[in-house]
Amino acid sequence: MAKLKLDNVTKRYDDQGDVVTAVDDMNLDIDHGEFICFVGPSGCGKSTTMETIAGLTIPTEGTIHIGDRDVTNLPPKDRGIAMVFQNIALFPHMDVYDNISFGLRLRDYPTDEIDRRVEHAADIVQLEGMLGRMPEEMSGGQRQRVAIARAIVREPDVFLMDEPLANLDAKLKVHMRTELQRLHKELDTTIIYVTHDQEEAMTLSDRIAVLNSGSLQQIAPPLTCYNEPDNLFVAGFIGSPSMNFVEGTVEGDSIVTKNFSLDYDPSTADGIAAGDEVTIGIRPEDIYPSALRDEVSDPSELIDARTDILEPMGDEIFAYMLLGEGETSMSQEQATNDQLLMSIDPDSDIDEDEQLQVVIDRSKVHLFDTATGEAITHSLEAAWNSEGVTESEAESDD
Amino acid sequence: MATTTDHNSSEGPLARWTQSAIQNPEKVYRALFYVAMAFFLVTTLFPFYWLLVLAVTPSGNLLAGSFLPEINLFGVSTTFPLPVPKGFNPQAFITVFEQVPFHLYMLNSFALAVTTTVIVIVVASLAGYVFGRLRFPGRAFLMLGILAVSYFPPAAFVIPLFQAFAGNAPITLPFTEIPLFTPPRLLNTPGSMVLPFSALFMPLSIFILTTFYGQIPDGLEDAARVEGTTRLGALFRVIMPLSAPGVATAAVLTFIAVYNEYFFSSIMATSTEAARWSPIVGGILSYQTQYTTQFNLMAAASIVGVLPVVILVIVAQERIVSGLTSGALKE
Repeated sequence: MAKLKLDNVTKRYDDQGDVVTAVDDMNLDIDHGEFICFVGPSGCGKSTTMETIAGLTIPTEGTIHIGDRDVTNLPPKDRGIAMVFQNIALFPHMDVYDNISFGLRLRDYPTDEIDRRVEHAADIVQLEGMLGRMPEEMSGGQRQRVAIARAIVREPDVFLMDEPLANLDAKLKVHMRTELQRLHKELDTTIIYVTHDQEEAMTLSDRIAVLNSGSLQQIAPPLTCYNEPDNLFVAGFIGSPSMNFVEGTVEGDSIVTKNFSLDYDPSTADGIAAGDEVTIGIRPEDIYPSALRDEVSDPSELIDARTDILEPMGDEIFAYMLLGEGETSMSQEQATNDQLLMSIDPDSDIDEDEQLQVVIDRSKVHLFDTATGEAITHSLEAAWNSEGVTESEAESDD
Repeated sequence: MATTTDHNSSEGPLARWTQSAIQNPEKVYRALFYVAMAFFLVTTLFPFYWLLVLAVTPSGNLLAGSFLPEINLFGVSTTFPLPVPKGFNPQAFITVFEQVPFHLYMLNSFALAVTTTVIVIVVASLAGYVFGRLRFPGRAFLMLGILAVSYFPPAAFVIPLFQAFAGNAPITLPFTEIPLFTPPRLLNTPGSMVLPFSALFMPLSIFILTTFYGQIPDGLEDAARVEGTTRLGALFRVIMPLSAPGVATAAVLTFIAVYNEYFFSSIMATSTEAARWSPIVGGILSYQTQYTTQFNLMAAASIVGVLPVVILVIVAQERIVSGLTSGALKE
């Protein structure tokens, strides 16, 4: 059983006099057999973290344990890891068999053992009959499978995958994604998977580790990251299209924003007081046109809006809406406060530049401290006397 | 006016050719290419032809008469423009080995060249890896320093090296009498030649290999290290094979330079005896005595001596071309 444990791992680079902190005090505890995705924007330190685990980079501070062994200063070859690289990195001067068996040959395995393992690995990734080919004669997906076979053939304790699907086309990507899940089931090995694609992270992993600027923001199962993000960054990063953010101020039992206010029951939300600057986070699917008000579990007051751009996706329509004085070309700051993105049914009767009213599902509203970005609550409740409370809910509140 | 009519017909052949050359510059480039090729072929191949002519001419005929025969062409007597052997004596290619143990001289040169090449490729690979793949302060400065070694004329090193390899006196600290160590006597041994050769030809190889090794994607080295090699292992198992054209180029250049070297060896070998590691040129000069110079044997020996290099270049060229065309660096 190989657990992976990172303790206070920090990596600093000296970039011509400036100290750049690529990984900042990373603590991770990963169980045997877990599929963990490191996800974050470019330059957030996810690849560097991966490299410290692989041993390609030695951390400036902190320790790394694989199983019971302290591997912090061991070279990559002695760590019991295997890695799949973003650029695939097959050895172009070797055929598929030699590529897959490279690690085994270095370790002086007997020939028949190598043959058996290579054939088994080729079998798993469906590469039978291609062992004699050169990498340049293969397609991108086939090469990627060779790279995976090269990794699994050594039966490593921990599998590292650095954006292995990044260079594949969209269709192949989805296919390989399911292949990876199948593989994970079959191998029962710890897998660390780096990606900048939150969708990949959501679909693949047991737990997602969201990274930003070198520090860990949240590590939790995908749906927890989605439904209960720890902070503004996670909330904005997980989910596509991303969450709407509206800045506001707490005034008594309502949160007043530039264009609308949201009543709530202060007793249900700890940690905020009148005058606090907060940011409301609402996912696009938790905003409804006013016509559907009765179907919403805890609808807010009606909010006036005007549709701007519509993006029909087939199974839903993304409607960009402008609030108040909002203009189509807006700065980032305005976009935060004057724009809402709503995801609605594809059959909805909706046009661009149309005045309409929408409601927000209050029970799905996230509240963040604007200054620190920390989450305060992930659900609001209607105030007792709020006009937004429907009769049935008023009863249930009893 | 003539210009209003078809002006092609009114102009001379030169003007017409110029006109067509302007319209179709490809023609000129092709013509220039053939001219340049012909020039290079003549200048490189004529000396070999001249050697061959000398080699097969019997020694008695060497100094008598002209190599350019008079021929009678349709009643006009003229001089044939190409030298022609005066007689035919292929025996010279055997006499070469009978008179002097020329094969031993060749073996000397070959052994010196192979040893130097191996040392240069191994050491320059390590240096090329460091310069091409690692980033550290002072890298450019160090590289410049190494290249500067090759700027000095070899003659600048000869006297101090001869003193050192003579092994008579200890090496002292510069400008003082403080002895450091006494080197072993290396004169007349391969050591006294391989050492300076390696040092002199190293910078070029380092430069070539730095360029090639620097182009190998980091991912391949990382992959090799994760798979179980050390950095050195990755260098020799992955980076070097993928840089085969560069390694071949550096090796061939070093081999040829050392194989043809005479300046250092003539001094480090105190006489032109095969047993004292005198190289091919030393062997060729052995056909010259105080009173006689056997030009035909010297020419024959020169041709024999060149053959291994010709073979090497042909073999290596195939390797270089195949390395270049396989597009080895595509990941």
